[in-house]
Amino acid sequence: MAARGTARRGPGAGGSRGPDPQEEPPPPLQAVLVADSFNRRFFPISKDRPRALLPMANVAMIDYTLEFLTATGVEETFVFCCWKSAEIKEHLQKSKWCRHTSPNTVRFVTSDLYRSLGDVLRDVDAKSLVRSDFILVTGDVVSNFNISKALEEHRLRRKMEKNVSVMTMIFKESSPGHHARCKEDDIIIAMDSATNRVLHYQRTQGLKRFRFPMSLFQNSIENVEVRHDLLDCHISICSPQVAELFTDNFDYQTRDDFVRGLLVNEEVLGNQIHMHVTTEEYGAHICNLLMYEAVCFDIIRRWVYPLTPEMNFTDDKNQSYTHSKHNIYRGVDVSLGHGSVLKENVLIGQGTVIGSNCSITNSVIGQNCRIGDKVTLDGAFLWDKVHIADNVEICHSVICDEAEVKEKVKLKPHCVLSSQVVVGPGITLSEGTVISLHPPDEEEEDDDQFSDDSGVNKEESKVKLKGYNKKDVGSEGRGYLWKADDKNEEDEEEQRQSLWGPALHSEEESESDSDLSMGSEELDSRAASPQLDDIKVFQNEVLGTLQRGEEENISCDNLVLEINSLKYAYNIGLKEMMQVLSKVILEFPLQQLDANLDSQNYFSALLPLLKNWTPLFKNYIKRASDHLTALFAIEEFFLEHDSLCTSIAKVLMTFYQLEILEEDVILNWFSMRDTSDKGKQLRKNQRLQKFIQWLEEAEEESSDGDQD
Amino acid sequence: MEFQAVVMAAGGGSRMTDLTSSIPKPLLPVGNRPLLWYPLNLLERAGFEEVIVITRKEIQKMLNLDTKMKLDFVCISDNMDMGTADSLRHIHQKIKTDVLVLSCDLITDVDLYKVVDLFRTHDATLSMLMKKTHEPTEVVPGQKGKKKPVEQRDFIGVDDTGKRLLFMANEADLDEELVIKRSILQKHPRMHIRTGLMDAHLYCLKKYVVDFLVENRSITSLRSELIPHLVRKQFSSPTSLQQGLDNREEDQKKKEQASLDIYSFIKEDNSLLKPAADNSCWNDHRGDMNETLHEGKVRCYVHIMKEGLCYRVNTLGLYIEANRQVPKLLLNLGLEEPLVHGSAQITDRGMVGSDSIIGSSTQVGEKTSIKHSIIGSMCTIKDKVKITNCIIMNSVTIEEGCCLQGSVICHNAVIEKGADIKDCLVGSDQRLETKAKHVNEVIVGTEQLMEI
Repeated sequence: MAARGTARRGPGAGGSRGPDPQEEPPPPLQAVLVADSFNRRFFPISKDRPRALLPMANVAMIDYTLEFLTATGVEETFVFCCWKSAEIKEHLQKSKWCRHTSPNTVRFVTSDLYRSLGDVLRDVDAKSLVRSDFILVTGDVVSNFNISKALEEHRLRRKMEKNVSVMTMIFKESSPGHHARCKEDDIIIAMDSATNRVLHYQRTQGLKRFRFPMSLFQNSIENVEVRHDLLDCHISICSPQVAELFTDNFDYQTRDDFVRGLLVNEEVLGNQIHMHVTTEEYGAHICNLLMYEAVCFDIIRRWVYPLTPEMNFTDDKNQSYTHSKHNIYRGVDVSLGHGSVLKENVLIGQGTVIGSNCSITNSVIGQNCRIGDKVTLDGAFLWDKVHIADNVEICHSVICDEAEVKEKVKLKPHCVLSSQVVVGPGITLSEGTVISLHPPDEEEEDDDQFSDDSGVNKEESKVKLKGYNKKDVGSEGRGYLWKADDKNEEDEEEQRQSLWGPALHSEEESESDSDLSMGSEELDSRAASPQLDDIKVFQNEVLGTLQRGEEENISCDNLVLEINSLKYAYNIGLKEMMQVLSKVILEFPLQQLDANLDSQNYFSALLPLLKNWTPLFKNYIKRASDHLTALFAIEEFFLEHDSLCTSIAKVLMTFYQLEILEEDVILNWFSMRDTSDKGKQLRKNQRLQKFIQWLEEAEEESSDGDQD
Repeated sequence: MEFQAVVMAAGGGSRMTDLTSSIPKPLLPVGNRPLLWYPLNLLERAGFEEVIVITRKEIQKMLNLDTKMKLDFVCISDNMDMGTADSLRHIHQKIKTDVLVLSCDLITDVDLYKVVDLFRTHDATLSMLMKKTHEPTEVVPGQKGKKKPVEQRDFIGVDDTGKRLLFMANEADLDEELVIKRSILQKHPRMHIRTGLMDAHLYCLKKYVVDFLVENRSITSLRSELIPHLVRKQFSSPTSLQQGLDNREEDQKKKEQASLDIYSFIKEDNSLLKPAADNSCWNDHRGDMNETLHEGKVRCYVHIMKEGLCYRVNTLGLYIEANRQVPKLLLNLGLEEPLVHGSAQITDRGMVGSDSIIGSSTQVGEKTSIKHSIIGSMCTIKDKVKITNCIIMNSVTIEEGCCLQGSVICHNAVIEKGADIKDCLVGSDQRLETKAKHVNEVIVGTEQLMEI
């Protein structure tokens, strides 16, 4: 660090408005903590309690984040709240962070207008809150990482090359299949191993194979390393430029947008992102309940040392625990009935009473809970003031504040009872059941997810009008079923995927089909380029052009010219071009007339168009492969519009008669076997078969003729 | 016998036809030895006693090698266009054990055991040798412009240890993206993708790979077909492969499907080795409790040379470069022979640079300086000639006052008085006229051009 003192930075370095550090030590380290996730991943739990305040091992998540920041040397933290900001504020004001002795000054910035991380950072920029490099975290990060080395590297990089590297992302090394790796949040990174520069950053969820643009492999970088063993801690060291960049690019919503935008435009903007990998320390980001479970256990199993329950780092007198072997933590005034066993990894909060003959393992129990006799808890997370009656079995489930479970209720894995819900007696909740006092359909009406409390009150009155379904919650139950085990149509909405997130498997399933792909690999990669969005836009443009052509009677030659220029403008390949053209023309009648045409009308509307635009097709469809592409596009269109299926034969016939498509290719296409089921169905169409038969006969005749 | 060595010396040298049109590639003199001598010497140093050399009739006739090894020449006919895999298939009856396949154009001082040990340690299917490509430093005759045309790069993916070969692709086969399967990264989460590596064409292969080749006649080249195939096969499971084949290789369907599966050729370990591996506390991976050897039946490894010499003489530029490095190499190999042959007659010894090689019965006249050059045998070099950075083959006559720089002069060429040649290739039997001046040209007879 001595070097920093001697090497002077020129005026103007270090961000436009940061004071020049010259010879003094760097300004106090600042942090931006975003205490909102801007998604509904934790609904309905987060309807009652903001995500940042969810208890992890009986301590609010945000406390872990603040402790991490303080321990790593942050002296000023801006907490940005939006959803339920008052609650967060109240919680923090009571905590040790707002005492005078706190080394870390916590300042609140609240606004109901934040809709994304981007909004927050734009506000940071607008209010000029940060003076130099700052740490950006969300309120759901649990870590014991010491940032100083990464920070030093970051500062050094910024000094060597002025303002080139704008961000250092922190990753934890953990191999695939590690329990703290969440599939939803899984990433793949390509980095330059010499400089730790991030070259490519991609989320991997649902991907079977990863694609890396060739531009990564320039000759200047000798060794590109692809890493799939990293866990994104969602901690990043940012320079003030990051906030400025968010302001400049108002379309950046999330950090992912930012990273992607920066990497793609690296050549233009000249900004780089670097990374730091930690192997020893802990860091995790709680993005779903599965992660919640995993991280909770990590805390109890002391992986996050020194952030363990008995340390009582929040300095709250209700949070003192004793730690005994097998990781059993007990708070003050815990009473355990006769014959009850705490096996391992159990945390029990202050004032909780447990009946006799219970068996508890791998569980977290909050404060002032009452647990009856003969209760089995395995992987249960009970928050504060939960009542569990006798003979209850709970397995891998979350039960929120003041919820009540009556006698002989069984909770299968991955159930969630949000606060004040009552279930039972004597029912079994199937796997993945979510019950809340908020009726699920209300969510649609309430499209402003950040509505304030007055709105909530209104809803409650509405709730009372509807009855609870006794089948779901039991005869004495209170609450609405959110999601049963069988997935209804309601999870089309992305954020409302299962609360728990995809489970971790040891990844065997990908193997079987990975092999099939060997041959098709090339095909795949071709189909994927260029970006879909471009094609969409292009398609609209072509449609517009054709519409104009139809209205103003523009000649085909001119249309071809216009389409060609569009093709270049959007950098569309010939193949895509063909697909788009076929599709647009086939859809044209639908656009012009009303959408629900029967096939008869459709065809009569299409016929003159096809005749008009024959030269257009002929211009693009030349080689046999082009014919095939066009045919596939036609097939696709008819697959999408079932009702028009019957006219496919006529359309093909027209194409054939206009000499756009050749018979060989049509026959070839028809006999192609590797099509989807739908495609097969399509080929069973009688008229189509007749047409093909007719073609075949015609061909035979003509070839016979040749022989003579 | 653990390995049988096979040297592929039938290739035409299609990337340097200016040279190979008159001299077959295995016979090109490098440091006054035929190119083929180098791989053979490498094998001899490693202790091989027998080598199978696949070559052509006329090459065998012209070969004159001093080696203690027993050379088993297999000639393939001239008019057949056989790839390296075809050649290996051709001699499969001679293959009784695992094989070590080398190309005749490999000049290296690598310790062969490093490659072989990888093969042994990991019970590998394939182990191979690679080296960082050389940046061409000198001007290559006949090549316009400084820059070489950008070749298609190879992408090589190795694991964290740098030994396991995970991925292989050529730029030509890729569009705008490099595609890596998730299952590979699941097993090897860190992959280093390297470009700028040269494949030395030195392969250790299991015997069953040869059996596999025999059944799969569609594979013609080791480098561009067999090796990538093996690398890919590492990460597919045998069961699913069968279905994969059904869908994929339509054209191969006519053949018997079962025979196509590389896995069906893998023989189970014999009774002694299997329990040995199971009971061993050693394994070649960390972080899990899997079997001793890394999962998967096909395993490919690569040894990447960090230092040392490794050249593949397949272009004119590399030929020149190899010649330049050979004195150093011969020294490293501890060959006692003096660089200047005993029977050479040199008038002014002092004018001959210490890193030049001069062959037998060559005469060098007065005031002739020779620097950084290699001169063949039976050459006549008259007075006041300046030779710098040149390769001069056998029986070349250079008359008074010539000045040669950075050029390659093939057999029996005659360079008349006062010629000034820079960065040229002069073909066999060429005659350059008095005071001729050539810069950066390829001078070969028209007849030869016709042959090409």
